[in-house]
Amino acid sequence: MARIVGIDLGTTNSLVAYFDPQTGRPQCIPGPHGSTLCPSVVSLDPDGSIIVGEPARRRLLTQSERSIYSVKRLMGRGPGDVQDELKLFPFRIDPASQNVIRVRLGERVFTPPEISAFILRELKNWAEAHFGEAVERAVITVPAYFNDAQRQATKDAGRIAGLEVLRLVNEPTAAALAYGLHERQRGKVAVYDLGGGTFDISVLKLISTGEGDIYQVLATNGDTHLGGDDIDNLLQAQVREEILRLHQVDFAKSADSVQELRKELIRVKHELSAVDRATLRFPLAGGAVYAREFTRAALDALIAPVVERTMKPVRQALADAQLQPTEMDEVVLVGGTTRTPLIRETVEKFFGRKPHVELNPDEVVALGAAVQADILARGVKNMLLLDVAPLSLGIETYGGAVAKIIPRNSTIPASAQELYTTGVDNQTGIDIHVVQGERELAKDCRSLARFTLKVPPAPAGLPRIEVKFLIDANGILQVAAKDLRTGEQHTVEVQPSYGLNDAEVERMLEESIEYAEQDFAERQLIEARTEAESILTATAKALAAVPDAQLAGGEREKIDANVAALQAAAAGSDYKLVRARIDELNQATTHLAELMMNSALSTALEGRRLAEV
Amino acid sequence: MAEPYTITNPPLVCWSCHDRTLGTHFCSSCGKLVQLRGGIDYFTLFEMPRKLWVELPALEKKFLQLSWKLHPDNFVSASEQERELSLQHSSELNDAYRTLRDPVARLEYLLGIEGMRKEGEHKQQAPPELLEEVFELNESLEELREAKASGGDLAGLQTRLQAAEKSFQAQLGEVDARLQSAAREWDAAFDAKADEGARKKLLSRMNELLNRRSYIRNLVTNVQKELQ
Repeated sequence: MARIVGIDLGTTNSLVAYFDPQTGRPQCIPGPHGSTLCPSVVSLDPDGSIIVGEPARRRLLTQSERSIYSVKRLMGRGPGDVQDELKLFPFRIDPASQNVIRVRLGERVFTPPEISAFILRELKNWAEAHFGEAVERAVITVPAYFNDAQRQATKDAGRIAGLEVLRLVNEPTAAALAYGLHERQRGKVAVYDLGGGTFDISVLKLISTGEGDIYQVLATNGDTHLGGDDIDNLLQAQVREEILRLHQVDFAKSADSVQELRKELIRVKHELSAVDRATLRFPLAGGAVYAREFTRAALDALIAPVVERTMKPVRQALADAQLQPTEMDEVVLVGGTTRTPLIRETVEKFFGRKPHVELNPDEVVALGAAVQADILARGVKNMLLLDVAPLSLGIETYGGAVAKIIPRNSTIPASAQELYTTGVDNQTGIDIHVVQGERELAKDCRSLARFTLKVPPAPAGLPRIEVKFLIDANGILQVAAKDLRTGEQHTVEVQPSYGLNDAEVERMLEESIEYAEQDFAERQLIEARTEAESILTATAKALAAVPDAQLAGGEREKIDANVAALQAAAAGSDYKLVRARIDELNQATTHLAELMMNSALSTALEGRRLAEV
Repeated sequence: MAEPYTITNPPLVCWSCHDRTLGTHFCSSCGKLVQLRGGIDYFTLFEMPRKLWVELPALEKKFLQLSWKLHPDNFVSASEQERELSLQHSSELNDAYRTLRDPVARLEYLLGIEGMRKEGEHKQQAPPELLEEVFELNESLEELREAKASGGDLAGLQTRLQAAEKSFQAQLGEVDARLQSAAREWDAAFDAKADEGARKKLLSRMNELLNRRSYIRNLVTNVQKELQ
């Protein structure tokens, strides 16, 4: 079976990991810059190409109008939902946005799933470069508290990136899987996951059975708009206000310098996790310099409200699981923001035990996704994950009230049947509005979908249509209807309230494939040319250093011919040909490479290629 | 909740091997997942008698065993039909566990499959002997809302409502006790293979108590909301 990778599509950073059968452990795959973290930043180059990750992050400072970060905050949301966000984040929402937000990057507009797809495609490339083979299937993690629309948007992003998304796994659950494998934990575990933009708390029970380990989620809660970003925004607001007051410099006018300041403040924040004091010197337009010392105590006071906001979901999750804080056997911290000392102290105090931080909080979710990917890939398993729906599913009833049909924290897949009939003679349709949330009125819940159930004309009350609402193992809603009089199954066309329809996803996929194939070939060519250049340079150097007399008869001519062939290939655009010529030249220069080294070293380095010497 | 289930359980013809099969989840002939059987109730699914006392650890154990076999994770590489069937079976399993685990949902479900709870019938009406108290409560609630809106003195009203809440909580406890005793009688009648008439009488008593319970619970929730 082909490889399945695990992907953590994060607000700030994204990662890709796989399960290494040799070591029996999951492992993150580094990108071309050596880091396993791919900044979740996308930038549109003026030449029309898409730049993702570290290079895009640098462009936030120089081309902020063409770059976007924290796009996860926009996934599955409508323009009306994000007004608060717009005060704090430099998202340029296209005014023509309808149900789905469209974001402007330079001269083009993209939907959030398309932007996320660029990040996924980059990670897919990392994995493909690592394995030397195509990667087409993935497990992607989402915040446990993501609603249906946010999950669907994530799945759409996967499809647009050319990935078959075999499962969406909740981030805290993934982290528990990674820790379970690492520490062989048992009992009741609380996972506190504070990332760049989302907060989750999950309470799990780890059970050993004859067949294997079961990870059963008992309750989950969270806030999909709460994270390290909020701390950054608080710091930024404070500093911008000070700069305006002391130096009369208003940052609202310069997007690039806002990003510069944001970057510096994030550095200060990170430093204060390790030391008690950090300084900022920020040159302003007009020659003035804003200089300030920050203390951890002052930062703690500033972020205390953010930390307190996480505790309400924590209490709710424990109440739903009918457990006391002290009943937890283990507490696990996940997400980069949990490096903040105040958070560690708060969590430790609340649960009365030291939380686990052994695994890198940035990597642990991706590692867990890789474990789940491995479970799915092997078919034969020794582990099972039973997750829950984070929010209650309801339908709007008379007077705008909500009838809850699947309560929150139900193990998924979960379903509910509702029986419908008509109120007037020959009524041909019944309108159904599906919502998600805990509030009593439909208008206060999240609208998932509206659809009209088709009914054959009949006297009022005679039709009997059974509608089955099913939440699948990804936490995504499916709807099916059955006419109980005829036994006939109806297909239900559900138009998501805040999502892309199938045709749109299909079109985006096609567009992205065109980009992708071109991208892939281009990238391969650039890499092959770079490698060709380095072997050509090494060969020339070796030929100059080694006297011809030491070479075998005809060896020099053979090398010259191969050099010429590689140069010709590198001038063309077929990366496979360049790779083939590189291999040939490597072969031809094996002896030359040996001659390059002194005799003492030659035994140790036998078989090395010239470019490596 | 769906239609009351009927207990007709004809043998299925397996979609895969076309043999007649009796398995609840897997074909007794070829081992593939079978189509969902509409006639199987949650008690049968867990191989339990239709009794109201449930041994929770045993229920959980059975749930985990069945989850292990039916969960969609097992069928990621299987045919589309099998993936769909695993989704149906595992959601039914989870629905059943969620229902049987909770004493109130369990009773409500039992009343449903025994034909006691028809659509619309459990629309709640105030139990006659509570009418006066409910009337007073609604009045107090209304006054509290008005006082809140006009910024009037709330303390006196709140004390009154707190007293009302306490009284209803006590009644809730009483209903629960009566329900528990009725449930014990049901289980005893089940074991004694009591006749239809006796069973019906018990079911209808429990139905009444359950309606009363949810009515009082709603009152308590409403009061708590206003007091917050």
